[in-house]
Amino acid sequence: MNQLWKRLAGITLAGIMTASLAGCGGGSQASAGEDGAVKVGLLHSLTGSMAISETSVRDAEVLAIEEINAAGGVNGCQISYVEEDGASNPSTFATKAEKLIEEDEVATVFGCWTSSSRKAVKSVFEDYGNLLWYPVQYEGMETSENIVYMGAAPNQQIVPAIQYLVDQGYKKFFLLGSDYVFPRTANMIINAQLKAAGCEVVGEEYADMEQTEFSAIISKIEASGCDVIVNTLNGTGNVSFFKQMAEKNYTSEDYMTMSFSIAEEEVKTIGADILKGHMVSWNYYQTTEGEKNDAFVSAYKEKFGEDRVTSDPAEAAYDAVYMWAAACEKAGSFEVEDVLAALDGMSIDAPEGTITFDADNNHIYKPVRVGEIQEDGLIYTVYETNEAVKPDPYLTTYDWAVAADLQPLE
Amino acid sequence: MNFIKKHGQNVCFAVIVLVLALMPLLLTAGVIKSTMVIFLGKCICFAIVAIGLDLIWGYTGILSLGHGLFFALGAYGMGMYLKLQATNGNITDFMKTGGLTELPRIWQAFEPLPMALVLLVLIPALLAGIIGFFIFRNRVKGVYFSIISQALTWAAYSIFIAMSPYTNGNVGITEIDPIVGSIRGAKHIGNLYLLFYAALAIMILIYAVAYFLVKSKFGRLLIAIRDGENRTYFSGYCVSDYKNFIYVLSAIIAAIAGALFVNFNGSITPSQMTISYSITMIIWVAVGGRGTLIGAVIGAFVINLCEYNLSSGAFVDIWQYIIGAIFCITILFFKGGIVGIVTEQLPALLHRRKENS
Repeated sequence: MNQLWKRLAGITLAGIMTASLAGCGGGSQASAGEDGAVKVGLLHSLTGSMAISETSVRDAEVLAIEEINAAGGVNGCQISYVEEDGASNPSTFATKAEKLIEEDEVATVFGCWTSSSRKAVKSVFEDYGNLLWYPVQYEGMETSENIVYMGAAPNQQIVPAIQYLVDQGYKKFFLLGSDYVFPRTANMIINAQLKAAGCEVVGEEYADMEQTEFSAIISKIEASGCDVIVNTLNGTGNVSFFKQMAEKNYTSEDYMTMSFSIAEEEVKTIGADILKGHMVSWNYYQTTEGEKNDAFVSAYKEKFGEDRVTSDPAEAAYDAVYMWAAACEKAGSFEVEDVLAALDGMSIDAPEGTITFDADNNHIYKPVRVGEIQEDGLIYTVYETNEAVKPDPYLTTYDWAVAADLQPLE
Repeated sequence: MNFIKKHGQNVCFAVIVLVLALMPLLLTAGVIKSTMVIFLGKCICFAIVAIGLDLIWGYTGILSLGHGLFFALGAYGMGMYLKLQATNGNITDFMKTGGLTELPRIWQAFEPLPMALVLLVLIPALLAGIIGFFIFRNRVKGVYFSIISQALTWAAYSIFIAMSPYTNGNVGITEIDPIVGSIRGAKHIGNLYLLFYAALAIMILIYAVAYFLVKSKFGRLLIAIRDGENRTYFSGYCVSDYKNFIYVLSAIIAAIAGALFVNFNGSITPSQMTISYSITMIIWVAVGGRGTLIGAVIGAFVINLCEYNLSSGAFVDIWQYIIGAIFCITILFFKGGIVGIVTEQLPALLHRRKENS
């Protein structure tokens, strides 16, 4: 019995030792021009309910790393990556973040999707002084010295989209979301914004994350007399909701929806025939024009299959790797402080256009695009901001938001 | 040889404790990283839950598929206290987003440490006690009990998600420092040692209590209930009271483990109270070997160390299949788990070989 235990302990110890010895020029020790590789971590859910979304983001990161390596690497080093599975469980994310930073000694980590996983690892990155690149739009109200928010803050996705709807003459809004932090916070913002714009919120409903039955909510929508639904449902809820709307023969002409969590990937799952004519808001679509995007889309399809589509989070993750590499080149170092210093005001040309790092809040200046879903399953821009929008995670530059006292306490 | 047979369990447990106690020394020597110690700290918490589960499943034969609930209740209790430490007793961001203007009563109760410690044990104990009272009084058993325990966990999970102004929904309680202060990074290594040894001490204590219980007459009664419930009834024992007691006790053990876990983890989310997580706990006990306390401890460590090391690098996409396969093979061929292999199957094999030659 104890022999068995000893052997097990021995195997584990040996495993740990080899893992810690294997780090070739590990993150913090690596310096510019040194031969060898620089290690980065990829931390996404590859199993569990979030795997379907996060795998595409992981793929985009791997693509960017391979492209950079093929072009000669960063600071003369090839990038090697360590993959960890967060298993759709925030606690696992925290454990794995610690493992990547301490045992694998990665220079930086690209990872997370859900707000719960980001919140769970936030203090890990802050305590160890490492850097996380977060690729997804989110609810804002957060900044961290140790996270670069590559996705949209609310004022780069939600606020312009609502403004667009108001400008289009929509008056009665129905807010529908999954029951978690992003929809709740988004709707808090939307409520304040609509009140200031003189529009009416005629209903606000939340569905369970796993809910598949929407008839009660649909009858509330029918009774509310709304002319547009602002949809922050996430995951499987979207599929059920739109299918059940379609079963009642409702199209975008009866009830227009504006969604914040439906990208090309989700359109494919729900069906383009159902979603035809509905609106979404993101910073990037597969159809976004530009040489950079043409190259990105064809490289992505070539590597992962013709039937794969690119999406906003995947593009943001792809940009994250390039932006980190550019900052390392500029700094001539892989140290987090040097990289952050080099990031100040840095711009790169990305598939979505030129994006710029904002050192005020570690977010990114991004163009905002309201899109319409069409029959081919792709999303086409119907409205676009003239220039990249400055990120404002706490909405301090909006009078109505300040008046509504939306800022968090700390 | 006799000594090993009689005290093998305890010797093995002592070896585990010794190996764990050496970990901080290995850390100081630079052989392992501090995250490994943090992770082993979490494993200690899992081993504690596993001991509790083994008492109710391995010894009493009641399969609870909902111990994640009690684990999470304990963890939330501790998490609430720690969060209030971080906010100096003020309301949190998520309460404000949820429309609350002052700290809810239930949170206020968790502000003083002694109160929090009492409540984080008392609430799961009461919940288990009330549910157990009705379930066992009505002689609900076997698979029906398992289903009820599952449904209960599911209901609690839904409530925690729906009550997001109070619980922060599926984000849970995050950005909290452990009770001893931060344990991350080189300058907080003292705190880490303190927390780690405290957890180890609690594991030893709980093991000792459980060991004392199962070796006593009470323990034999539990086994009697498992192996012949009706006979135990007819012998004049109030089986439902015994069952309820062991259910409450294992809930308390799970809650203590949860409260420890949140210190190591720095956050607690409802994903720790899901059904699938509760079933994972069952897998620890089954693989280690149910019906032996040491089996539960070994199982918790082995499965978690496997997950930790397999779910990265080469196996990152398929590691769950490997864990699943281990579980299936255990159930099909090695009912006694790892402990069973060592104490029964291996000796039997050796014996057969000796006879053949």
